[in-house]
Parts: sequence; structure tokens; C-alpha cells
Amino acid sequence: MKLKLIVTSVALASAMNAFAAQDYANFPVTVKDYDGSAKDSVAYTGQAARQVLHTSLKTLSKQGNGEPNAQLKAKMLTYFDGKHSGRDILSPVSKSGFVVTPDQVDKLSGDKNLAGKTYKGTVAGWPGNMKGPEMVRFMIDKASSANKGFDPLTGYDYTQLISKFLMGAVFYNQAVDNYLDEQLDADKKPNNKPYKDGAKYTGKEHVWDEAFGYFGAPANTLSLTAEDVYNIAKQKPEAFNKADANNDGKVSLYNEMTYAHAYYAAGFDKGGKTNYLHTITQAFVDGRQLITDADGEALSNMERLQLKGYAEIIEKNWEKVIAEAVFKYAGSTYKDLGKLHQLIEANNDNIDKEYRTYAKHWGELKGFALALQTGKNNLGETADKLNKLIGFGPILLGGTQVVGIDGNNDFIQSYSMNFEQYQLNMLKVQQLMIDEFGVKARNKDVLSDMSGLADKLSSGVAVEND
Amino acid sequence: MLETYLTDFLQNLSETFTSPKKRVFIGYLLSGFALGMAWLYWRKKQSLKESWQRCFAKEIWWSPSSRADYQVLLLNKLTFLFLAPLLLTQMTVASWLFQTLYEVIGHRPIFGSDWPTGSIPLLFTLCYLLLDDFFRYYLHKLLHEVPALWAFHKVHHSARTMTPLTVFRAHPVEGVLFSLRTAIVQAISIAGFVFFFGPQADLVTVWGASIFAFLFNLTGSNLRHSHVNIAYWPKLEKFLISPAMHQIHHSTDPKHFDKNYGVILAVWDRWGGTLVHGHESEGISYGLSRKIRADEHSLKSLYLLPFKESASAVLKSLSQRRPFKRFQQNT
Repeated sequence: MKLKLIVTSVALASAMNAFAAQDYANFPVTVKDYDGSAKDSVAYTGQAARQVLHTSLKTLSKQGNGEPNAQLKAKMLTYFDGKHSGRDILSPVSKSGFVVTPDQVDKLSGDKNLAGKTYKGTVAGWPGNMKGPEMVRFMIDKASSANKGFDPLTGYDYTQLISKFLMGAVFYNQAVDNYLDEQLDADKKPNNKPYKDGAKYTGKEHVWDEAFGYFGAPANTLSLTAEDVYNIAKQKPEAFNKADANNDGKVSLYNEMTYAHAYYAAGFDKGGKTNYLHTITQAFVDGRQLITDADGEALSNMERLQLKGYAEIIEKNWEKVIAEAVFKYAGSTYKDLGKLHQLIEANNDNIDKEYRTYAKHWGELKGFALALQTGKNNLGETADKLNKLIGFGPILLGGTQVVGIDGNNDFIQSYSMNFEQYQLNMLKVQQLMIDEFGVKARNKDVLSDMSGLADKLSSGVAVEND
Repeated sequence: MLETYLTDFLQNLSETFTSPKKRVFIGYLLSGFALGMAWLYWRKKQSLKESWQRCFAKEIWWSPSSRADYQVLLLNKLTFLFLAPLLLTQMTVASWLFQTLYEVIGHRPIFGSDWPTGSIPLLFTLCYLLLDDFFRYYLHKLLHEVPALWAFHKVHHSARTMTPLTVFRAHPVEGVLFSLRTAIVQAISIAGFVFFFGPQADLVTVWGASIFAFLFNLTGSNLRHSHVNIAYWPKLEKFLISPAMHQIHHSTDPKHFDKNYGVILAVWDRWGGTLVHGHESEGISYGLSRKIRADEHSLKSLYLLPFKESASAVLKSLSQRRPFKRFQQNT
């Protein structure tokens, strides 16, 4: 009887273990001849540092008062270009019911900046033929003299533009166009050597970890719901216990926090139509397991092929997450334009609030549209269409729009189209995201009234005569 | 994979009888039988036993023709589980139409914000009824009058006995055409109404089905394919197609060929000169012609022969430059 009980308990325990979701953590050290004491080979502290450099820079970008501010500009640049120690993490910071740690960038990883990892190509959707880092510095300059990051004369919300562009130009670009792309080649960062002398991880292990770090998901994501992961980014007290996986009373900004793309993936998934967050995280975990299973030997061609399969799942779904964001903010912009149009038609002069909301949504739309173009593949005609539909700037009240930059780095504006024509462009942006990326969450769908009605009329395909 | 497919198939099959959006929803079948029994007992003065026989005779429900209906129903459901994802959806057409309207008009004039509550949904539901019913009538007319299409529609008309399930006796090519028709009609209604009336555009429903479809089905739509020939008053038959009028459409009498194409409304047939009143339905027999072919209910004959006949019809019409077979006999 006792023996039966023990056998049953062991069987149950192992079954529960089999069903327990794997964290992106606790992968053993496989480096041959490793003589350190580490047990876990996972490390992506540099990426966590860049996540907080991004969130801190976003916070700083809202601190201008509308006057040129050299001090603010210099501070912003320390978070973009600088690598020096002593930089505080300005966001996320501890809140009542949601304590986070650490409080300085260096405590995550020293000697890190964003500029060195920013997309080096020319940004076609932004005036002035600027390269990625140059464009961010240009925006930092403008943001430092804007009022809370917003310039009413152009409609630019620099906070959103900088933040969303960097999400693409640093995190997405580095992950899908570098770590999950050429770094998976046989001759790059091989698995039978440590990443660098004395390291606890192999070349391929670390490359994979770095890509995961840029996605921004907590290590225990597979044990959490999309809603949990979303609430962690929002630092909601009810999510604290779920975030604090090691129960030390603090949420680690290294591997217990939600950032950037993982936050957006969770945001779309909690609507129930998509599963980007878990699909991407599962592919990261599976890929890491495959590398670990190679036990410090070089990956065979077959193993690398399989690894590239996981990389492709990650890349395709990640791209969709950004396309979903473009879709969502095109929808928000469409609605904002409608509201503004109604107010103007009714001769209502008090439109500041609505105009500000419009600029914010447009900034997010533009930032994500630019981010989408920093991936592994050249989007070609799709990028061209997207940039033409959105334009360099939001359509302003008189139908004007930024069309270029002059020699003094000032914007040139001219008449483009009216609000209603621009609304049609937003609709076309949404259609483009459906046609080219197959977005499914479709938040803020301009045509949602149509799909609701289509559902009511639809009774499924039936081969029926009359 | 196979398991998912089987689950989908069974779910689809059960929904056919349990969803009020479907023609043969169990509630509509029951109401149809009740009406049929009442008609035979009170109006036709038949005994209860005779009425029951007319509705439920084994000779009707288990005839070679009806057994073929059941096989076609199952086979088509299996086929369309694969085909359905490839078909054009109403949302694809509606999105295109919505954008085109936007481009042509240049803005969205939203009407009806001060109209009485419920008036826009009622208008939408009515317009959808008219558009859907007209397109059904017109495609049906084409299926009869274009030889290459008639080859496929003959499958439906080859039924010798009719039960409510004869509605499913259709060639898969027809299924594709029906789905295209539905996509276009729904797209025009949805895009047009949402474009001009915004979120107020809505469908008036009963148990999830359009109120008009609900009423049509509740009042005996399933008797169209049966041996209970309920005819309406001649004046009403100028506006609504009675079960007997549709049974005439299935008649083997050449004078009834290519008549009564309509589904709910009789006005299209009246305007097109193809309306025949239901009182002529006494003593008719169903099928393509009085002459019975030995293999007319075999699956091979129902599924494959139409392709051959359609191809030769295309070749013939190309050589004669006459794609429509107007006034040609219905055989």
C-alpha cells in the first residue's frame, strides 16, 4: 500500500513537472573546461540595461518646457550615446506595491549605450535622409526644446517617435537582423567555444540569450498569462507576486520585468485573438534548450537548421506584433481625425486636448511604422506605400504637413490633403497591415462595424439550393 | 489533424440542425411539419393517417433519390471543410468596396444620426432581404438559362422525391457560386450601410437570424422541398413564393420548365414573366423529365457527369456564339 502511494506520488510529481512551463532560466553551463562557479549559463544583462536606457530616455523626453534646454539635451544624450557610470534608472522606478531593483543602469550592466546598437541604415520614412543614430540625435535635440515632448507646430510627439523608433531600431533590429540571423551561422560565435575567454556561456548560447533580452519578456512568461505580463509592465500591484518569481520582495529589472515588444505582444494577446507572446517566448525557450542539449559541442548543420526554424518563428511573430501596433495606431489616428473634423465643423475652438491626443497616436503610428522597416527583410514596396500613406508628419488643421527639412534643420511644410483624405490613408494603412502581414488582433479596426455585421449575417458556408 | 477535421465536420453537421441561422434548424422543421399536417388535415380534408403518410412516408424519406440527397449533403460538407478557407469572403469584398466608396466620394457623409431609433437597422435588414432575394433569383435564373451552368444545377433538379434535405442536393460548383453570391450581396449591404450610416447599421435578428429569414423559415420554407403542396391565395402569390410554386419549379411537365425562380419574393418572377401560381401543382411529378434514367442518383452521375456536360455546353456555345439557352427544354 505504502509502495503504491510512493509510486503514485512520484508519477504525479513527474507528470506535474512535465507540464510545468519552462522559464527562460536555469539552463546549465555547457562550456567545456569552464572553471567558474556559475550553475546557470543564461545572461542578457546588457540587453536589460538597454531596455532601461530606452525607458529612461522616454521619461526624459517628456521633461522639456518649450524652450531650448542644453542641459536636458545633454542628459538625454547620456542615455543614448553615453556609456559612463552613475546613470540612474528613471523608469521603471519603485511604486507603492511594486518595488523594483536596481536603481542604476550599471547595476544591470556597465558600459552600455543605445547609439552603438541603433540601426545604421538610412531611415526612408523620415525627412533628411538620416541614418538611424543621426535621426535619434536630431529628435533628441527637438524634444529637449519641445513642451513635454510635443511640438504643436508640426504635430510631432517626440516622446512617442523616439521611443517607438528605438524599439525597432535597437531591440527588433539587433535581435532579428543580427543575433537571430547572421550570428547563427556556423563560423560566427560557435557553440564549442565560450563567448569570450572565461565566460560561463558558449557563443551560440549567449547570442540566443541576447535576442531574448531584446524581446523584453519576463523569464517566467510561460507560467503567466498575457494579461499578467501586460500588468507587470504597468506595475500593477496585483501583478507583483506573479512578477517576483524568486520571492525576494523586489521585481528584478533584469529578468522579472516586461519591456517594449513583449508588452505590446501581451497587449494584443489579451484580446484573445492572438498568441504572439507565448509563441515567441516558447520558440526562445525551445531554441535555448536545443543549444543547451548540444552540451558545449559545435552545432551540427541539422541543429542549426532547427535553430533557424525557431528563429524564423520568432522573427515572423515579432514582425506581426509591430504590424499590429501600426494597425492599432492607424485606427486611433483615424478616429482622432474624425473627432477633430467634427469639432472644427461645429466651429469649436477648444480642440487642444483632441489635437494632443491625435499627435500622440500619430507619433506612435509613425514610430512603429519606422520600426517595422528596421527588420531583417527589406520591405520594399510595402515600406514605400506605408511611408507615402503616413507621410513625414501628421496632417495639420489647414491640411498642411511636414514635407522636408531645410539647411537649418527646420521643417518645411506645405499643403497635402484634408483630414478626410488622410482618414482614407489611415484605412489603407490598416488594409496594408492585413494584406502584407496578416494581422489578427486588429485593435481599433476602422472597419470593425463591418466585421461585426458580417458576423451577424454569416451562417457559414453551406452548399444549399433555394 | 484527422481528429480536428472530424470534430469540425461533426460540429458543422450538428450546427446545420441546431442553429436558427440555418434553413433546416430543428425548430423550422417542426414548424414546417406542423403547418404541413394542418394543411393536409383541414384544407385537403385528409385523415390524420393520410396526412402523416404524405409528410413522413418511407417511400419519400428512404427513396433512392432521398438517399442520394443525404450522401450529397455529407460529401459536400466534407469537401467544403477544405474549400471554405479558399473562398472569397464578404469582408474582403466589403473592405475593397468601402475603400472604393471613400475614394470616389472623397469623404464619409454619415446620415441618419437624427433618425428614429431602430429605423436604420430596419432599413438595413429590409435592403438586405431585397438584395439577397434578388441575387438569389437572378443567379438561379442564370443556372437555368446558361447551359454550362445548367449542367451543374441539374443535380438539384434530378430529385424525384423531395424532403427538406433536398435543399442540400447541389453540385459543389454551385456551392462555390452560392458562396460568391453571398459574399457579394453581404459586402454590398455591409459596406454601403456602414459607409453611409456608421455604427448604426445593424441587423434586426430573432435568435441570431435575420428577422425576415426567421419568418420565412418559420412559416414553412422547408415545405418547398416536400410533397405537401401548400399554395397561397393568388393575390399573395403575386408577392410571395408559396411551397407549391417552388414544387412547380421542380415539375417534369415542360410547361413548368424555367418558372418560379424566386425564393421569398415573387415580384422578380412576375416582372420577368416566369411566375406560375401554386394551384397548378396538383398531380405534378418531380425530376428532370418523366423518363427515369437508371443511374440518375448515383454519386458518379451527380458529381462527375456535370463537368462533362458543362464542358460540351461551353464548346457548343462557343461554336454557336450563343451562351444562353433561352427557351431550351429543361432536360
